[in-house]
Amino acid sequence: MPQLRNVAIVAFAQLPVVARDEHRTATEMLYLAVRQALEQCQARRDDIDYQIAGSTDYMDGRPFGFVTALESLGSWPPRQDLHLEMDGTFCAYYAWLRMQAGDCETALVVAHGKVSEGDPRRVTNLQMDPYYHAPLGIDAIASSALQASMYMARTGVGDHELARVAARNRAHGARNPDNQVRAVATAEELQSTPFVVEPLRQGYLAPVGETATCLILAVEGKAERMCDRPVWIHGVDHRSELQTLGARDLSRSAGARLASERALALAGLDRADQVDLAELAATNPAEEMVLCDALGLDPFASRPVLNPSGGPLCADPVMSTGLIRLGEAFRQLAGRAGERTVSGAEMALVHGQQGHCLQTNIVWICGTRRRWS
Amino acid sequence: MKRPVAVVGVGQTHHASRRSDVSIAGLVREAVDRALLDAGLEHKDIDAVIIGKAPDMLEGVAQPEQYLVGAVGAHMKPMLRVHTAGSVGASTAITAATHVASGLYNRVLTVAFEKQSEGNTMWALSPNLPFTAPLVAGAGGYFAPYCREYIARTKAPLHIGPLTMVYARENGARNEYAHLREPVTVEQVMETPMLWDPIRFGETCPASDGAAAMILACEELAKKGPRRPAWIKAAYTFAEAMWVPNRDQVSPKAGQICAGKVYEAAGITDPWKEIDTAELYVPFSWFQAMWLENLGFCAEGEGWKAIDRGDTRFGGRLPIDPSGGVLCTNPIGASGMLRLAEAALQVMGRAGSHQVEGAKTALGHAYGGGAQYFAMWVVSSEL
Amino acid sequence: MKCSAPPETPVKYVEAVVWLPYHYVAGDYRAVYLRALKDKKILGSRCDVTKKVFVPPVINSPESFAPCSELVQVSDQGRITTFCIVNIPVIGRNLELPYVAASVLLDGADIPIFALIQECRTEDVHMGMRVEAVWKPDGQRQGDHEDILYFRPSQSSSSGEWPRPI
Repeated sequence: MPQLRNVAIVAFAQLPVVARDEHRTATEMLYLAVRQALEQCQARRDDIDYQIAGSTDYMDGRPFGFVTALESLGSWPPRQDLHLEMDGTFCAYYAWLRMQAGDCETALVVAHGKVSEGDPRRVTNLQMDPYYHAPLGIDAIASSALQASMYMARTGVGDHELARVAARNRAHGARNPDNQVRAVATAEELQSTPFVVEPLRQGYLAPVGETATCLILAVEGKAERMCDRPVWIHGVDHRSELQTLGARDLSRSAGARLASERALALAGLDRADQVDLAELAATNPAEEMVLCDALGLDPFASRPVLNPSGGPLCADPVMSTGLIRLGEAFRQLAGRAGERTVSGAEMALVHGQQGHCLQTNIVWICGTRRRWS
Repeated sequence: MKRPVAVVGVGQTHHASRRSDVSIAGLVREAVDRALLDAGLEHKDIDAVIIGKAPDMLEGVAQPEQYLVGAVGAHMKPMLRVHTAGSVGASTAITAATHVASGLYNRVLTVAFEKQSEGNTMWALSPNLPFTAPLVAGAGGYFAPYCREYIARTKAPLHIGPLTMVYARENGARNEYAHLREPVTVEQVMETPMLWDPIRFGETCPASDGAAAMILACEELAKKGPRRPAWIKAAYTFAEAMWVPNRDQVSPKAGQICAGKVYEAAGITDPWKEIDTAELYVPFSWFQAMWLENLGFCAEGEGWKAIDRGDTRFGGRLPIDPSGGVLCTNPIGASGMLRLAEAALQVMGRAGSHQVEGAKTALGHAYGGGAQYFAMWVVSSEL
Repeated sequence: MKCSAPPETPVKYVEAVVWLPYHYVAGDYRAVYLRALKDKKILGSRCDVTKKVFVPPVINSPESFAPCSELVQVSDQGRITTFCIVNIPVIGRNLELPYVAASVLLDGADIPIFALIQECRTEDVHMGMRVEAVWKPDGQRQGDHEDILYFRPSQSSSSGEWPRPI
C-alpha cells in the first residue's frame, strides 16, 4: 500500500434540509453554509487555498448554475477552483487527491442545488440514454423499483424487510435536527403506505428537499490547528458502471463492492463491519440492502450502526446527499453528533452515489486517528 | 505536482457543424479511440477517466457522462465529470493530470466533447430566466462591450480583429481536423454583417460538433510509450467572482494570476521569449490581442501591435493558435481540451502541417464564464 | 417478420422535445428590489466592511466575503462604462435593430448593470455618456424588470447624494 498524506475533515456545515426555502436562492443558501464552516474551524477566507463545488445545471434550471456560487465562495482575489457536475462527495475526493499530489493544503468543498425549483423526476429521466431509455419515461423512482424487484426476486427479501429498514432509518432520523423528515414511523405504518412504483411505497422513498453544504479538508500539520478533533481519511475509492439497466445485475452492486474493497485496503481493514458506523447514500430500503450486500454489512445488525443520521430517507438534498454522509461521519467521530451520537465510535464507512441504481459509488473510510505515521 | 506527468496520446474528431454520421457516444468514441491508438494502448491500460463538457442543455441529456460510461470505457473505473463553463476542456485535462501526479493513478484518459447540433445553442446558453431582462443573444453580446473597451484603451486600429481571423483561417486550412478551413481576406471579414458591434459575423467562432481526448501517464510509463511524450511542466485553474467593484473584464485578474503561477512553476520568466507557440482560447477575434496582454506576452496596449506586425502569424516570432484555434473550430466543451492537446502536439513535434518548427515549450489556455474561469498548462519536449 | 435487411431510409434523428417546468425563488433581497421598481426606486445592498454598493442587491460581497446587510437606494441615472451595438434579435424580446446594450454604472452604485439604451442614434452613444432610466407610466408598473423600459441620454442632472438610506 502506498504511503499517503494524512488529510482530515476539520469542519462541516449544512443548512437544515427543507422541502423548499422560499427566502433564498441556491447560492445565497450556500453563503451561509460556507460562513458557518469557516467559523467552525476559525479560518479566514484567505486561509483556504482550494475550492471545489458540486451542482448540476438541470436541477438548477439554468446553464452555468454554478457560476454564481463563485460569489458565495468569496472568490476574490481569484481562487484555485473547480466545479464538478457531481455530488459534493466526489468534489471532496478530488480535493483529497490534490492534497495527495501536493497541490493544496486546505480546501473548501461545497454542494448546492435547489431541487424544489425544478421537477426531479423529469430531470432524472433526462439522465438516461437519450435513444433507448429516456423515451420510455423511466425516472429514478422507476429504475429504483426495477432494482428493488430484481433484488427481492433474487434474495426472497419481502416487503416487510424493506419496511423494517425504512423504519430503522426513520427512528434514527428523528434525533437529527437537520433532517427534513423527523417523525418516527413503524415498519407496519410504512408498509401500509401506498405504492408509488411497485414494489416501492411512499414510505420507502426519500423526500424531495434542499440545502447547501460545506466541508473543509486540511492536511496534517494544518488540520490539528483548525480542529480539536479532526477526522482523518483512511481510505477512499470510487467506481462507475454502465448505465444501461439491462447490462448489469441490478440486484447487486459490483461497483460498490470494488470501491469498498479498495477503500478498505487503503485503510488497512479487512472487512467493512470492522467500523463502528456507516452512512449510506441509498435512497430507498431496497437499494440500502443491495448496498449492504455489496459492502458486507448486515442491514439488521446493531453494529456497525447504519445511518445514525437517518440517512437519505429523512433528507435527500440532491448534490449534497453524499457530502452530508461525509459530514455526518465527521460529526460522529468529532463528538458533534448530539443526541444521535454513536458511543465509542472511532471508525466510519461513508458511501456516496450518483446516477440510477447505484451506477457510480464512492466509499470512504474515516477514523479518529491518523492513518499513516 | 508531486511527480512528472506526460501526454502520451492525443486524439480528436473531425469537427463540423453537424456530425450527423455519429451519435453523441459515437462522437466521443471517435476521439477516445484515436487517443488510445495514438498512445498504442487499450482500455484495459487505463486507470481512470476524467470527462468534461459545457452545459448539458446543449444536448438535452442531463449529466450525459453517466450514459457515456461504455463509450469512454469507464466501466468499473473511477470517473469524474468536470464543468467549468468554456474553460472546461482545459480544466478537465488538468484534473486528469492531478490524478497521475498524486501517485494513485498511472494512466488516465481524459475526454471532452460537445455535440451542439443536437440542441439549440442560443437557447441553451441564454435561456429566458426570470428576474433579469433578456438583452443580448449569445456569448458575443456579453463579450462585445469588453472588446470595445479594449479598442478604446489601446487605440487599436479596427483591422486588427479581421486580421486575426485571416491568420486563424490560414492556420485552419493546414489543420485537417478544423471545422472552418477556407482562407479569408481582411476585406471579406470587413464585409460580413456586424452582429454585436464591434464584433462582426466574420470574427466569431463557429458552432461545432466535436470531441478531444488525451492519455496522460506517469514518467515511467511515458518513457516506455511508442512516441516522444509532452511533459506537463505546470498546470493551474483559477476563477474569480463576477460582482467585484472595478473588476477588469478586459484583462481579468484570474487570467493574470493563473498565467503567473503557471510560468513560475514552469520556470518561465519571459513568456514572449521562452514560449515557442501558444494555443489561446479566442472565441472572438479581438480576444487574441486581449489575451496576449493578459497572459504577459505583451505589455498593456502592445498586444494588437504584435498581431499587426505578423508576429503571431504562422511562421512569425510567436505563432498563436497554429491549429486555427477556436475561431476555426468550437465544440464548446472540447475547445479548451483542444488548446491543451494542440500545445502538446506541438512540443511532441507531431502537429503535421501546422507544426511550428522547433517548438519545445508551448502554452495551452482556456477561459469561460464572464471571463471568470481560467485553465492553463505549459508543456515541454523535455522532462 | 424479417429484420435482416436494413431499412431503405434509416432513422437519422430521434426528435425529443424537452419540457421542464421550474419555479424559481427570487430570494428576499431580489424580491425587495423588484418590488421597489414599482415605486421607481432602484435598490442596492451595501457591504458591511467595504461600504461598496451592489445593484441588484446581493447578500454578500465576494470581495470582502462580508454580508451586505443594509439596503440603500441608488440613482436612476448613471454613466455608460462600455457598450455594444446589437444587430441580431434576442429571444423573448421584440427590439428594433440595431440597438445599444450598455454597462451602466448608476450614481451611488459600485457595480454596473446591463441596460438597453434608446432615444438616441447608436452612433452617438459613447463611453462616459450620462443616461437616465425611462420608467413605465404610473399605474402600469408591476414590480418586475420590465418596469424600466430602457435608459436614454440624461435630460437633467442627477440631484443629491447617492446612495441614500431607504
